[in-house]
Amino acid sequence: MSNQVTNAPSNSPVKTDQLFINLGPQHPSTHGVLRIGLTIEGEIIIKAVPDVGYLHRGTEKLAEVRGYHHCVVLSDRWDYVSAMPNNLVFCLAAEKLLGVKPPPRADALRVVMCETNRIASHLLFLGTYGIDLGAFTPFLYAFREREMILDLFEMLCGARLTYNYIRLGGVMVDVSPEWTARLKEFVEYFKPRLDEYDTLLTYNPIFMSRTKGVGLISAKEAVDWALSGPNLRGSGVNYDVRKHEPYCGYEQYDFDVPLGETGSCWDRYFCRAQEMRQSLRIIEQALAKLPEGPFMATGVAKIPKPAAGEAYAHVEASRGDLGIYLASDGGISPFRMHVRAPSFANLAILQEKLTGMKISDVIALLGSTDIVLGEVDR
Amino acid sequence: MTNDDLFAKIQARWPAVLKASIPVKDYLTVRIASPDELVPLASFLRDEGFDMLDMLTATDHLGPVNMSGFIRQPNFNPFLPEGATPEIESAASAGYPYRPAMDLLWSFVSVANKNRVIVRLEIARQGVRVPSLTGLFKSADWQERENFDLLGIQYDGHPNLTKILTPDFLQGHPLRKDYVHIKDRFDE
Repeated sequence: MSNQVTNAPSNSPVKTDQLFINLGPQHPSTHGVLRIGLTIEGEIIIKAVPDVGYLHRGTEKLAEVRGYHHCVVLSDRWDYVSAMPNNLVFCLAAEKLLGVKPPPRADALRVVMCETNRIASHLLFLGTYGIDLGAFTPFLYAFREREMILDLFEMLCGARLTYNYIRLGGVMVDVSPEWTARLKEFVEYFKPRLDEYDTLLTYNPIFMSRTKGVGLISAKEAVDWALSGPNLRGSGVNYDVRKHEPYCGYEQYDFDVPLGETGSCWDRYFCRAQEMRQSLRIIEQALAKLPEGPFMATGVAKIPKPAAGEAYAHVEASRGDLGIYLASDGGISPFRMHVRAPSFANLAILQEKLTGMKISDVIALLGSTDIVLGEVDR
Repeated sequence: MTNDDLFAKIQARWPAVLKASIPVKDYLTVRIASPDELVPLASFLRDEGFDMLDMLTATDHLGPVNMSGFIRQPNFNPFLPEGATPEIESAASAGYPYRPAMDLLWSFVSVANKNRVIVRLEIARQGVRVPSLTGLFKSADWQERENFDLLGIQYDGHPNLTKILTPDFLQGHPLRKDYVHIKDRFDE
């Protein structure tokens, strides 16, 4: 009898025993290997302790004995769902150290790839978030479209997840006219699909009642916890590295930064859904005025040896503000590389936010932060 | 407010705070002289609008990295003959001032003013102790734990300074340059 949990509310005079449960590490809704130690009383969470590190591969250490070109390969493995921005941010930091400027065509191609990858990543979020909350159908639609993007990337560079496409000084290979035509075809195909998702999921009454007003994060809290990406913008804070500190010529593209209002799970979801439209706009503009010329800068050594110095570069990756701090001692490998991973910062807020929530809302909040554990643990 | 104005303001209050001799490229980098200046400077920056502690990290400046800190053999190519020149090696770079010091770095972002300032502190690498910023910025929580775990930096006043990324049985702090891996049951 003593171990039985009744449904008495926590403020009632009838005291129930506290119960400790593990969410994860192998729970489908944690989207990777994350364990959350939950102490519950009835349906209410008293304490939540996220436990990370199951996927720690020590890429920051590995980078210290690898050349700069090799580190691009390591970068693919952080956020494996959207690897293009990872490649990009390492290259930007290394290019700052080396003093290399990529040609305009490479910049435009980098923008196209990162935005296409952002759509693929947000589609994965959209599909799996629906599944987390019991809506199975949108998953099939979202993965159908995501498959097309992955096929495009496979056609481009041979890989479907870990691309290693963006290289120091430019990109691996130029796009072919067939590829560009196929991407344009995809953009046209994808536009009406977004409205389809809105009817399937965004404005679905059951979905809305599960997510609206759940997991509220105020703007002040979001900044205090250094959230970034759609998690921060869902709380109404206008911070987007693409506007804030433009890189790769983002200042020449016309796009909006979707903002949420209340910082609920639905707002974070909505920001991502709207961002896909903006990504489409950027892809269209970039493809329309794709500059001619080389796709790789000249003068990038086979074994680069940047002069001693330090650089920090950051980009708006699919999950937020991804930054690289790179220090060189003049040798062939980075002296120190640190990854400012958006998922790591986004996950830290859960220990505070989950306290006091109901068990059924845990998945709603966890799913809406859209973490990738490869990036949390690095 | 430009970076020069901000730096003048900082220097008016803390004359010992200087611009770092090796800046992080493109950003205002200031160097503080002792850990005692960190919390007042951080709270000053927060009042100036730098409301986000974006990143904190550290670099160990003790020589090139020790190869025995890595689990794998430096020659991972199985087709190479026995005793071939290692494919991965760490070599000292001539002219770089290696020293037994830890270089700590905090990066503050102003969301409204679109600005970033980097504060750094060089400190002897034995028994590094600095005050925690968890009282001012919540985001310091996990990032300080990460630095504690990987670099062995003690943050005074942190509410829960425990390992976060490496497994419980792992001895030492992997990102220290003199870290040596002790073989455990997962290596075979």
